[in-house]
Amino acid sequence: MDREGAETYLRLLAEAAMRGSLTPAAARAPNASTIMVVGHALTAVEALDPVTAEEILADFRLAVTVRHLHSEAGQGVTAAQWLAQGRPVLRGKPRPSPSPGEGTAGEGAPGNATPGEGADRFIPVGLTVPFLAGAVSGELCLMSFAQTGTGARFIAAWQVHSPALEVQLSHHYPGLIPFDEFTVTDDRGGRYKLDHTPGSDLAWPNMIRLNPAPPGNIRWLDVAPPYRPAVRVALSRGGPHSSDDETQVSVSDAALSAGEHLLVMLAERLLTGTPEFPRRGMLAAPPTSPRQVVAGGFGDIIAALEAADVLSPLSPVPARLATLCASLDLTGHGIAAPPTLDLPEPWLSLLAHYQRRKPEPTQMREGYAALAATLPELDGIRVTLLGLQHAQGSSVLHVLAQGPAPEPRPGPLDIDLNFPLSFWLRESGGRWHAARPDRCHQGDGESAIRLRLVPPLTRPADWVEVQAGGRSAKVRATLPLRWRYPS
Amino acid sequence: MTGVPNGPWFTSLPPCETLVPCGQGRHTVRWEAGEFRLASHADLEAELVLVALGGEGARCVEIADAWRRHAADLTVLGLGPRGEADEVPVSWDDVDAAEQAARGGAGGPGRWGWLASPPRAAMARAAIRHQQYQEEAGQDSQRRLDLLSLLALGAEFQVRLSGQVAAAYADRLDEPDDYGRNVRSVLTAALDGRLAPVAEQWLGIDPNQVEVSLYRDDGWGSVELTGHGEQRRLRVSLPAWWLARVWACGLALTGRHLVVAVERAGWPDARVLALRAPGAEPVSLRAHAVSHPSGAADAPHWEI
Repeated sequence: MDREGAETYLRLLAEAAMRGSLTPAAARAPNASTIMVVGHALTAVEALDPVTAEEILADFRLAVTVRHLHSEAGQGVTAAQWLAQGRPVLRGKPRPSPSPGEGTAGEGAPGNATPGEGADRFIPVGLTVPFLAGAVSGELCLMSFAQTGTGARFIAAWQVHSPALEVQLSHHYPGLIPFDEFTVTDDRGGRYKLDHTPGSDLAWPNMIRLNPAPPGNIRWLDVAPPYRPAVRVALSRGGPHSSDDETQVSVSDAALSAGEHLLVMLAERLLTGTPEFPRRGMLAAPPTSPRQVVAGGFGDIIAALEAADVLSPLSPVPARLATLCASLDLTGHGIAAPPTLDLPEPWLSLLAHYQRRKPEPTQMREGYAALAATLPELDGIRVTLLGLQHAQGSSVLHVLAQGPAPEPRPGPLDIDLNFPLSFWLRESGGRWHAARPDRCHQGDGESAIRLRLVPPLTRPADWVEVQAGGRSAKVRATLPLRWRYPS
Repeated sequence: MTGVPNGPWFTSLPPCETLVPCGQGRHTVRWEAGEFRLASHADLEAELVLVALGGEGARCVEIADAWRRHAADLTVLGLGPRGEADEVPVSWDDVDAAEQAARGGAGGPGRWGWLASPPRAAMARAAIRHQQYQEEAGQDSQRRLDLLSLLALGAEFQVRLSGQVAAAYADRLDEPDDYGRNVRSVLTAALDGRLAPVAEQWLGIDPNQVEVSLYRDDGWGSVELTGHGEQRRLRVSLPAWWLARVWACGLALTGRHLVVAVERAGWPDARVLALRAPGAEPVSLRAHAVSHPSGAADAPHWEI
């Protein structure tokens, strides 16, 4: 990796942008957005530290604006504004502090705490717990149970009915869910409460912690709704890896460079960010949209990655990206490589979906499939699949990612560096669905992530093939699905 | 003629001066032979000590202090002019307005009055964070004020300060600067920003078709023109010293030649190594300073 090459490239880009700002008629000159996008790409592959990237952008802005101190009213800046110009957005946000109870699995536990009692365990559950609490009734759908060093939790879906409104398997209206009125008891008599507020994310009641954390060797849990008999959740299955014997896993080498991997992530971000079923010719994003800004920087991103020696000039990925941009009507990408027909099968599948003129009729009922399968480690990240859910026209895959979490580096590329994997599902009907991080709760070396499937499922597949790609390897896992439907 | 073989970089530059609002009047400040001088403050050292100790100094003394502090600040190369056509028009009114804004934004203990009985530990942590933020913001603000004041000295001072910064690093490209910046990267960009417009004047080439690199071996470097149309490229490799010895001294394009090195620095006569066209061998030429077309007495303008 050539870090000096990376820094020099970004500084030269800023210099070209400076020239462009001095000659407003200059066509296609880079600007602050280009510097930001390229800076983010270089920091994402760790060729440039975020502070340097930030300073280059800040210095560029200072240099441009100091030349406009005396511009016509409304176009320039005042000296006071120049002085007070803030730092740009490349600096990472502070890492979120752990939520109460997080990372303290042993505190207040009725038995021995989880840590130190062996490996994590992940159990597919697939049980529905009906409840009635006052005017609110519904069902708690337990997809899986996950117990790690940071505690134990159910991955769940809810169906809530109230006289005022009906919410089907909802991500919404969590305030209606009577968490406090459930009791949970283990085989040793230990009692637990359901805690739905890790990260205070009220809009995401899919992850329900047990408070306090139970010991790691309990055999079952009785989950009792208010005024109803308890439902027993057996925890005897499971192991360090897949608890499901029917899962078939294969691993192949990927050997992607850091630059190629980033470009693949960006391509898939573009694919999943494309609006559904636009009229022909309407795929193109407005010039100021994030998709177009990112696509408009591809030529510079590729050149920067080559300058940083993290992308070979012979790599086939830029040509694929050029094809993708052309297929999605994204113009001005500046990729020098000619387009190629050699696109990955999942990309072709999703592009074919976008070319449809109208939505495909769905045969999918709202429901869920229990999962508990841990994939082989990819680039230091261990992903466990914990449930597939379809509700309100959306399909989501719940996963837990364990491994060193990178320093948060938000940026204009809008890719999730906490989950730097290419993630796809192929259902038994043969269609591919991109799995895009939609929500993430981070803490103590693991992230609970909700991956939204693009496009959503349209029929209840008998099985899915999960394809997860990192820099070093690609994992394929085939998992049978047993769909369950709330009443 | 003051020609000196291998003399200091600034030997080919005439003195320059300007008036600075200072106290109730306007004082002359002068740059000469690589030094920033104050005509109206006899004991500059003593006044600088006073400023360093936090005393209220005269503005031109503060500017002299800022010049000293930023004479090796690579930020200057990013802010400063890229060429004659690139004006950085900062006025003393701008500096006054910025100073006033900086004073207004400093805040103080009174700003914490709204914290009604917070926990003591939280208050202590918040106070430390606030103090750190204030210190960093204050340093950043002071640095920008310094730079604004130095830019307000005018184009001739801006160019000379840029030359001084380039000279400070031209022989130590491998060491990071005080802020941890990669000196080679910064100087490569500075060279690109200053050479590209010169190349446009020289050959009519699009400045974005100029590719520069820092030349690190013995000799003057290389200049090569390749390709046609959109693939046309002018590849230029010059030593970092070019920025100070050639560009800052106004010699970059002299008599339709691209000057690539100064063989013998001097004012108003110097001997330079210059290219008539890319790919040609450079020739040794005698350059003579003449009146600047703009009439500015202290702006160097050369002819072969």
